[in-house]
Amino acid sequence: MIENFITGSVALFSSPVSISIFVAGLLGGMLFGAVPGVSMLTLAAILLPFTAHLTATDGIMLFSVIYCSGVFGGAITAILFNIPGAPENAPTAFDGYPMTRKGQAGKAVGAAVLCSAFGGTMSALLMMFATEPIANWAISNFGPPEIFALVFFGLAVASSVGASTLWKGWLSVMIGLVLALVGLDPVGGIERYDFGFPYLLAGIHFIPTILGFFAVSEVFIQAERKAKGTYEAPKVSLDFPSFLEFWRLKFAVARSVCIGFFCGILPGIGATLAAFMGYNEAVRWGRDKTSFGKGNLEGVVSSETSNNAATGAAMIPLLALGLPGGALTAMMVGVFQMHDMEPGPLVFINSAELVWVVFAAMFWANISIFFLGWLQTKTVVHLLRVPFHYLAPVILLMATVGAYAVRGLTIDILVMFLAGIAGFFLRRSGYAVPGIVLGLILGKIGEQTFAQAMQMLHYDVTAYLGRPIGLVLIAGGLLTLIASIYRTIVPKTEPHRVEQAAE
Amino acid sequence: MKRHIKPTIGALSLAVAIGFSGQAFAACATDGLPAKLDKPGGFPARALTMIVPYGPGGGSGQVARAMAQAVTELTGVAINRDHKPGGSGTVGMTAYMAAPADGYSVLEHIDDASSAHALDPSRPNPATDLIPLVTSQITFSQVYIRTNETRFKDWKGFVDYVKKANGKATIANVSKEGSMERISMRYLTDHYGIKIQQISFDKGAPRYGALAGGQVDALFEQPGDVRGFLDAKKFKPILTLLKERPAAFSDVPSITDEGMKFEPLLRFRGFYVAKGTPPDRVKWLQWAFQKAFCQESYQKYNEKKFMNLIESYRDTDGTKNLITTTINQYRDVYKQIGLSK
Repeated sequence: MIENFITGSVALFSSPVSISIFVAGLLGGMLFGAVPGVSMLTLAAILLPFTAHLTATDGIMLFSVIYCSGVFGGAITAILFNIPGAPENAPTAFDGYPMTRKGQAGKAVGAAVLCSAFGGTMSALLMMFATEPIANWAISNFGPPEIFALVFFGLAVASSVGASTLWKGWLSVMIGLVLALVGLDPVGGIERYDFGFPYLLAGIHFIPTILGFFAVSEVFIQAERKAKGTYEAPKVSLDFPSFLEFWRLKFAVARSVCIGFFCGILPGIGATLAAFMGYNEAVRWGRDKTSFGKGNLEGVVSSETSNNAATGAAMIPLLALGLPGGALTAMMVGVFQMHDMEPGPLVFINSAELVWVVFAAMFWANISIFFLGWLQTKTVVHLLRVPFHYLAPVILLMATVGAYAVRGLTIDILVMFLAGIAGFFLRRSGYAVPGIVLGLILGKIGEQTFAQAMQMLHYDVTAYLGRPIGLVLIAGGLLTLIASIYRTIVPKTEPHRVEQAAE
Repeated sequence: MKRHIKPTIGALSLAVAIGFSGQAFAACATDGLPAKLDKPGGFPARALTMIVPYGPGGGSGQVARAMAQAVTELTGVAINRDHKPGGSGTVGMTAYMAAPADGYSVLEHIDDASSAHALDPSRPNPATDLIPLVTSQITFSQVYIRTNETRFKDWKGFVDYVKKANGKATIANVSKEGSMERISMRYLTDHYGIKIQQISFDKGAPRYGALAGGQVDALFEQPGDVRGFLDAKKFKPILTLLKERPAAFSDVPSITDEGMKFEPLLRFRGFYVAKGTPPDRVKWLQWAFQKAFCQESYQKYNEKKFMNLIESYRDTDGTKNLITTTINQYRDVYKQIGLSK
């Protein structure tokens, strides 16, 4: 393996053309990932026709580098302005932006840089070790029943994120689940809650919803503070997280690498779910659950480690089986086809050099993220010095473009502003907008996989007993639910809670 | 009570329309068209917009990209693709119908638009409410199993297995009730009087992964979409839903070989312009899109996607016939199964 890796690295860096493509992909992915309204998918779609003029190896390598850097790039705006550059970075905003408000932007961005690089590098290494066996294991052992169980496991903890009480947390999640029902049902294609308006058949997309709940409502809240004279600009800090802070989060990082990698290898799941699941597990295992959504570094670390860990993993089903995990990997299939190739088992036999150049490129791209990201931390944080009255219109403009760019539908802009207004009122009354977003995203995947699972299990829920992985996840989810209800019902007697109550 | 579908043999036959390709496009269908056509009144003076009602990664997104590239190569006119996915093509169609009929907006759509109109006449009929420019992909469906499957090796063995499983056998299929895939499966199960559990997957990758990973027993799909698995010998077809065996699958039984008499439904993708577009502009667009079909880049693309196994080309009138035939067939089926009155 090491020999193959060295050969791939030498092939990558021995040609000036390949080096230029590598650097261009790295910077382009970061830039397009960081600017809301465009994403790494936009860049990939623009570049796709041009890959016909590159060698197959350079074309696939370019896309894999864009994938790595693009997933990282969106973290910056999520942390600084509450605008996730890409869906994979949405959970990063849950705690990243509150950290910015607390004057810890440098720490949050620094953590995102380091964890993105670490998660991506670990994922690239795992990918090199055992692509084919892992891919076959994943599709053999993880069908719709197990994916639903995984989503249920994640949803069980969603109520804990950011709400003032458990019940408000659950109501927030339920709002998200209801929003997920709009559009065609995933089993029979039945039209639901469209009210005769055809554009609603496309469903409520989570990107405009996220932009509304986070970016737009935040602008409204800050504008109100400005009007009342209570506005305080976030302090600009360039502090990188200390080694000790990271060392305290070592288990969170390791857990998130595993979660990200695991979600990445499941066909059709990918980095977005990885980020949300990584975040949820941080909440589940966190010592102080109430601190999540309010600026907990572990939230940023978990989300960013998971989404980048999913990038290498998503290449596994693509290369080994020809199964793309998401939109960008689906475009990579197009790059293969432009060169008369099909990703799948034959790639390892017919194009071993290509595979190893791609593996090496992803490894070095993640290493580069660390250094480039460190530079970014020291520079982009200064954007916070821009006065609010200049920043707010730019945020609204970027969010509007971002909402429209997802599907080219005007209704998404309307959804974004409605979510912004709703978020403005919900946030001040103790409801959790992260809970709504979690409900929306996990609800869509959960409903579909539950329906598929029931069809596969012939509508017999007890058939889960014969599927150990699914059973363990369902049992874990149920235990989490029971524990959270127990904590709510049984009076808390810890001293610090009493003090809080007295305040 | 379950309603069975009566085969519509008397209806205008799709088999007539299928046509098997002969010598792999020695002469392309539109070679007779002029090599150049003057732009009427300077049209188009700017880039065209192609509305695609599906995402960029799937079959529609890919054919839209290939056709746009071919038209640009031929005419030098750029085409911007505007993907508006959602609602099984409804959202893109609705957006397109609201666009001005000036020829600058064209639409890519698939046979789902025909079945949607058959089910709900208030939805646009692509043959009469739009002007077809060209149909550039027509393909058929097959049933696939894993190559290393040990419980059954061929279609007969699979049918026996399904009968013994008594409703527990599974096949991965698309989700939408009334879709080409679901109706075709209904033809098969009605013929044999068998029950099989169809698992709904709306995206390709999880659907193929379900068969590759042994989560389901079989897969209903079109050959171009699973070509990688066929070339890698991971999947093998056990039934072709055509009346005759195409040359590339000469060892796979057709529905006629298995004693079935229904008219196979086809998947087709084409390009349209709005009714009311000035006729000279329509004429130029028809020339550009039909001629582009024969561009080398497009032909190579179709070959890669197994879209050369049956004749994939239809001009405006050919597309209208194909759509009208398809709509009539769907209407019959929907009435029989109680989906429409």
